[in-house]
Amino acid sequence: MNLKSYLNLYQLLEVDTSSKEERRVFGLFDESLKNRPIEQLLKWLGIHDSKLKKPLLSEIFSSYLYGITLGVVLIAFFIGIFSGITLLSYNGHAPVNVVYFIAMVIFLPLVTMTLTLFSMLKAHKTQSVLVHLSPAYWLEKLLSFLPSKVRKNVDSIKINPLLTNWIVIKRSQFVALFFSLGLLLSLLAIVATKDIAFAWSTTLDITPEAFHHFLEALSIPWKTWLPSAVPSLELIEQSQYFRLGDRLSEEMVLHASKLGEWWKFLAMSTLFYAIILRFMMYLLSLFGLRSALKKSFLTLDGVQTLLSDMNEPIISTHAAQRSNDNNINTQGNLQIIEKLDNSYDIVQGWAMSKEGLEVLNDSMKVITPMVVDVGGTNTLREDTEIIHKSKGEVLLYVKAWEPPTMDFMDYLEELLVAEIDKVVIVPVGTVEESYKAADRFINIWIKKLSTVESEKLWLKR
Amino acid sequence: MYPKFAVVGHPNKGKSSIVSALALDDTVRISDIPGTTTKQRSFPLKVDGKILYELLDTPGFQRARRVLTWLEKHDVPADKRYEVVEAFINEYRDDPKFNDEIELLTPIMEGAGIIYVVDGSKPYGEEYEAEMEILRWTGQPSMALINHIDETDYSQEWKRALGQYFKMVRTFNPMQTDKAQHISILESMAQLKEEWIAPVKQSIKLFERYQGQMLERSASSITKLLAESLSYVEKLSFDSEEVGDSDKHRVEENYKEQLRQMEIKTQKQIEKVWNHDHLQKEQTLLTFDGLDLFSEESASVFGLTRKELIITGATSGAVTGAGVDLLFAGHTLLLGGVVGALVGGAGAYFGFGELSEVKVLGQKLGKRYLQIGPMDNRNFPYILLGRAIFHAYHIATRSHALRDVEKLSMDSSFKEKWLDEDLRKSLEKYHKIFRSGDVVEAEVLKEYEVLIKGVLEKLIV
Repeated sequence: MNLKSYLNLYQLLEVDTSSKEERRVFGLFDESLKNRPIEQLLKWLGIHDSKLKKPLLSEIFSSYLYGITLGVVLIAFFIGIFSGITLLSYNGHAPVNVVYFIAMVIFLPLVTMTLTLFSMLKAHKTQSVLVHLSPAYWLEKLLSFLPSKVRKNVDSIKINPLLTNWIVIKRSQFVALFFSLGLLLSLLAIVATKDIAFAWSTTLDITPEAFHHFLEALSIPWKTWLPSAVPSLELIEQSQYFRLGDRLSEEMVLHASKLGEWWKFLAMSTLFYAIILRFMMYLLSLFGLRSALKKSFLTLDGVQTLLSDMNEPIISTHAAQRSNDNNINTQGNLQIIEKLDNSYDIVQGWAMSKEGLEVLNDSMKVITPMVVDVGGTNTLREDTEIIHKSKGEVLLYVKAWEPPTMDFMDYLEELLVAEIDKVVIVPVGTVEESYKAADRFINIWIKKLSTVESEKLWLKR
Repeated sequence: MYPKFAVVGHPNKGKSSIVSALALDDTVRISDIPGTTTKQRSFPLKVDGKILYELLDTPGFQRARRVLTWLEKHDVPADKRYEVVEAFINEYRDDPKFNDEIELLTPIMEGAGIIYVVDGSKPYGEEYEAEMEILRWTGQPSMALINHIDETDYSQEWKRALGQYFKMVRTFNPMQTDKAQHISILESMAQLKEEWIAPVKQSIKLFERYQGQMLERSASSITKLLAESLSYVEKLSFDSEEVGDSDKHRVEENYKEQLRQMEIKTQKQIEKVWNHDHLQKEQTLLTFDGLDLFSEESASVFGLTRKELIITGATSGAVTGAGVDLLFAGHTLLLGGVVGALVGGAGAYFGFGELSEVKVLGQKLGKRYLQIGPMDNRNFPYILLGRAIFHAYHIATRSHALRDVEKLSMDSSFKEKWLDEDLRKSLEKYHKIFRSGDVVEAEVLKEYEVLIKGVLEKLIV
């Protein structure tokens, strides 16, 4: 898991078109990864990274990041060397004041490391002021000077702010580490090539004893195993320098060779406070970055869906194929009447009882010499006999709510070719509805009967 | 071999509606026109590709009397009747006249259980007897489902008739189905054959898990919506020296539009999760036409009242303040809690009207832009969440058999169904994190998701 894999996954999720089934197959292939989401995602990435468009976004970003980091690290290293040279330069009048160097290699790192710790705690903030104070952050603004095409590519990457903050924090530690290495290198080089008289000087009223205690406290980390790198009280007393008179005291001149002993303390201070502690901060930032990467992996857009698709069984209840549209051709001219005649030669009822038909006729004020029930429990032979007996005008009641089946249509077809003049179909409602059929049912009958081409066929609306 | 169930019956009696509701599939073609279903259609319950049971939607009987006449011509003992049905299928397999009967009888003769569907809102008719007799000839286990297409109730007469043909008669309204009813029907189906009990029971468990998955995914979408919209920032670059009102208006409108789009996207996701991809909605509510997301009316219906908001803000502030008191072991004389409550309450009071301040940023850096967001309005999260829960609730409880337009009309009592004071306090904690615009960790999102899932479970299950 690294920044490259994060960016590759980011890019993959944007272009990925894998189906739920493919994802689930992957999940089932290695179920041991179910509770290890990062590993599962990385494995998924490994299998699908060929889908990514070249050059990879991660490569563009990494090369940009590498370039910027290298540039900034080199600059910091040289600034460290020049700062060291400046701080240790002997102007020929006064000895080199170790207080400046101590401030640079102990206090400045301690202050910046404290700020770094705060920025680590506040790294989840989208706009963390502390992170923005980092030189690495501002040097990154050099980006605006990059060619527009490169800038566009880099701008298009939407990295989780938590991750961005940790990247800046980590690189700041790296930059500071090289700055300190520059300082140490300059100290060692100058000590090796020059004879420097170190002294300490301050306007504050500090006694050599107090200063000794203070330096002893600073030297605790190496005091036991490298006592020679702890300035003795004697050395401190001998190397206190007062500017009054603008010349070296006799005491100092007498012990000129001893004054150089300071370098061991300065070197160890640089090594411990500016380099080792900084390196520890760097390790901490690596740890933080790793944790941020882990969190960012899991908050990438689409990751939770991907994980759930991989690890949750696909349960489906729906049809595999879409239903076919079966449009019934309703073209045709069905003849509609609004009012029934008073009498018909024969009244038939489809799947109705004879008693029910009598009541219905009464209700419709229809007179007829013959009432018969057709369909229903009749045999086909009985229906055929009724058709043969049918003459003149036929009134055929149907239950409006029962749609016309092909059984009915077969009967109607046979009836229409028999010796009859007219068939009037009357869809009726239930007794509770006073036989009044609902329009929606009548419309179904109209649609179906429109498919029959016969001048003998009528429908009563 | 997994159990199969063929849903059969007279045309237009709601077979497809029942299949649609049981299979949670809104693609089933449901029509008033008889003969819409001409081919059997399979709706398998699959888990990772493995079928647990299969529902089959079939065409309605069209020429039942003719089929029965053919069957009755063969004088065979009861134990040989199924062979006659098989012989019928073999003889008329390619005859378009009996297409529907072949389609519905074939799966039954291949071992599918029979679910015979009738409409209990219309009177029993003798024409059904031929159908029921044919089904009896198949010798397969069967049950009858009384569907209620309309308000009227003839179920008693249906039960008397159906009881003579089927060992089990159940009532099921696919338009108003809920989880309990769904499971109860599945349990009845399991009773049809002893060897089906175990697989159908397993299917019931999976069905419950499936619903859990759907709830989880809905909660996840709602969580994402809240987190993204509350932290969303809209920026608008400008070149002129001064910012005009039109620029401010533009950035504000863009901001609102983005939030609306986020809501629409989430609603689509939730509809997809619940297999309502083809849903048509009444747009009045969802397009905010006259009842805008930002109107006072919607605030009162979906969001909190000013009083509720102040109490929530004060409580949340008091909790934070109490933490300070605890830190100082009470030496603050509980001032922390008091001050926290005052600050929280005042923030809520003043945060009622404003959405978010439009700020001009980047002036010193030369690249100026207007920025609006993250959301300042304390009530907005409750409005958005209320709307999302309202929508999810309606989608999750909507029957898949319905084909009408879903009218999502607001109901002022809805808020009381899901939001109480404890939940409000819990939610406020997360809304504060989302509003901060800081990085929200996956764990925090998960916690919020659990809260939302709890709300949905309470409402839906």
